[in-house]
Amino acid sequence: MIQQFLETSRQKWTRVFVALVALFLGSLLLNISLGSVAIGFTDLMSFLFSGTTNNSGWDLILKTFRLPKAITAILVGSALGISGLQMQTLFRNPLAGPYILGISSGAGLGVAIAIFLGFYLGGFLELSGIGRSWLLVVAAGAGSLGVLLVVSLAATRLKDSVTLLIIGLMFGAASGALVSILQFFSQAENIQAYVIWSFGSLGSLSWTELHVFIPIILIGLASSILLSKPLNTLLLGENYAISLGLNLKKTRLLIIINTAVLAGTVTAFCGPIAFFGVTLPHLTRMLFNTSNHLFLTPLVIVFGAALMLIFDTIAQLPGMEATLPINAVTALFGAPFVIYILLRKKNLNYSFKS
Amino acid sequence: MNLLETKSLSIGYAQQNAPNKLLQRDISLSIQPGEIISLMGQNGVGKTTFVKTISGLIPELGGEVFYQNDNLKTLDSNTLAKRLSIVLTEKPYAQNLSVVELIAIGRHPYSGWMGTLSKKDQEIIDWAINETHINYLANYKLYELSDGQLQKVMIARALAQETDLIILDEPAAHLDLYNKIEVMMLLRDIARKGKGILISTHDMQISTQLSDKLWLFNFNEQVREGTPEDLILDGTLERTLYLHGYGYDMIYGTVNQPIESPALEVNLMGEEVVVYWTKQALKRNGIVVNSDAKIIIKCQKGHWSVIQENHAIDFNSINNLLISLRNFHQNKD
Repeated sequence: MIQQFLETSRQKWTRVFVALVALFLGSLLLNISLGSVAIGFTDLMSFLFSGTTNNSGWDLILKTFRLPKAITAILVGSALGISGLQMQTLFRNPLAGPYILGISSGAGLGVAIAIFLGFYLGGFLELSGIGRSWLLVVAAGAGSLGVLLVVSLAATRLKDSVTLLIIGLMFGAASGALVSILQFFSQAENIQAYVIWSFGSLGSLSWTELHVFIPIILIGLASSILLSKPLNTLLLGENYAISLGLNLKKTRLLIIINTAVLAGTVTAFCGPIAFFGVTLPHLTRMLFNTSNHLFLTPLVIVFGAALMLIFDTIAQLPGMEATLPINAVTALFGAPFVIYILLRKKNLNYSFKS
Repeated sequence: MNLLETKSLSIGYAQQNAPNKLLQRDISLSIQPGEIISLMGQNGVGKTTFVKTISGLIPELGGEVFYQNDNLKTLDSNTLAKRLSIVLTEKPYAQNLSVVELIAIGRHPYSGWMGTLSKKDQEIIDWAINETHINYLANYKLYELSDGQLQKVMIARALAQETDLIILDEPAAHLDLYNKIEVMMLLRDIARKGKGILISTHDMQISTQLSDKLWLFNFNEQVREGTPEDLILDGTLERTLYLHGYGYDMIYGTVNQPIESPALEVNLMGEEVVVYWTKQALKRNGIVVNSDAKIIIKCQKGHWSVIQENHAIDFNSINNLLISLRNFHQNKD
């Protein structure tokens, strides 16, 4: 009997994955073809297969701008979706997201310090040949890493996961306060630079930065697949999970590190992209009607990538010179969509019962 | 072979900067294959603490716990998960799982890195589903189940864990009588096939009837162990559950109502079933059943006659009988 069940479920999920991958490829093509200049489908195909469109201007646009941006969007979408999913399951809280442990606050503090002190450091960095973008990456990375260290230390000592959540919130509040103090004593242009960073951006990564970004995110996503099985036992509650042989403290630490690496890296390179990581897991659970992480994890990876590509396409709509901040676009178009799904399906409760 | 054995176990909570809060000391008990044991005692006496201690969730304050002669301390979490499974009162917090997916999670200690189920895993899951008679529920989602169905699914999950010992915390709470009996009979069948079952419960009537042994936890007293009947006859059960204020009925295993004196006394005769239920109704109304009483009630299905000094009155329901007896008693005063 179970064999038959597994067979039907395999067939169903294969169909779902094929459809999702098709959606993903469609959004990828749409994403790199649209922008300030629209590039036709046949030209795109010839670029993808032979490496050139016979138009050197377009080649340059695709190679230096659109392709890196599309790759960034794919990885950011998957990474934020996965870290949101892990935090929601670990803390049994539908409002949890990638930044619930204070990752983005730590990164924000790092960046704020870098920008506001950058006034003094600027000359030194120019001399040593490290660009401004790397300064921000390092600052945000250091901030996230600091938060990660403190939270992991707490995780190995605490029995109760919800207490960790509160520690994360306290971090957010404290670093927010420090950032305000720094802003208070800063000049207008520095404040503007900080605000622009906090909008988030997918387009600021060049190939050199991608050489660091891609492997870290891929390792994070691969480990998230390995964490699907322990996450499933956590669906029954922590006591059941322990009785099933799960080493709770170790698993919790692994999940926190995994989330922090994914969310921290994304924040370091692209700024804090807030809305997406909280809502994507809900959207995936509702659309595909499952809480089983063995399916949910790969679904979130592919669906997150496709959705982020679509949001990025909206952010750079043709006919517009400027690109809208990605944070604004995800929330503006994502929120109504989530409300619609909620009203139609009404089954969010099934995933979160206390 | 003992599936579980505790040697001079002390349980309670260790506190920082304060003496330990000791709940029970010197617990030496064991479970054999095929036994079904009910753990009873009042709230706060340490039943849950005991269950948590023997399942390794909290440390013991003294003594030792053995699983099949291996000390609990030497067992790693995965090995323990193959010896002991538990069914808790808490519901799984995510409800959007199918019954089969939930039961498959029970194979966690055995399945591969990615939760892949081997041929053997699948056979065990099938067996667990058959054993608990929930084949018809296999494709349901958890949020579609009633409390009774969910309880059986959780038991199937514990069975899928393939352990020789299963501990259940209040498995029959929130269930109606039919489901309660069904769940208890199911546990009894499972025990008869060689597993040990420990149930923490407040359900006196069912557990005294279906358990092989009771473990009674009492405040400031040694934990008592024995067959239910021995513990009822020597008064331990009554003392443990604090029933002496209410009068525990030694024959029917029920609690009597406090009786006002002087009470009306009657003698019951007739069909056994009708006598049983009539007696319960009379007791509830403070009427004493006594074989020496002068008033005699003859009981038949649908027909009761009250006979007093060669004078008989007939009734067609217990309700009418009660109304009349109450009036009679009041008029006499």
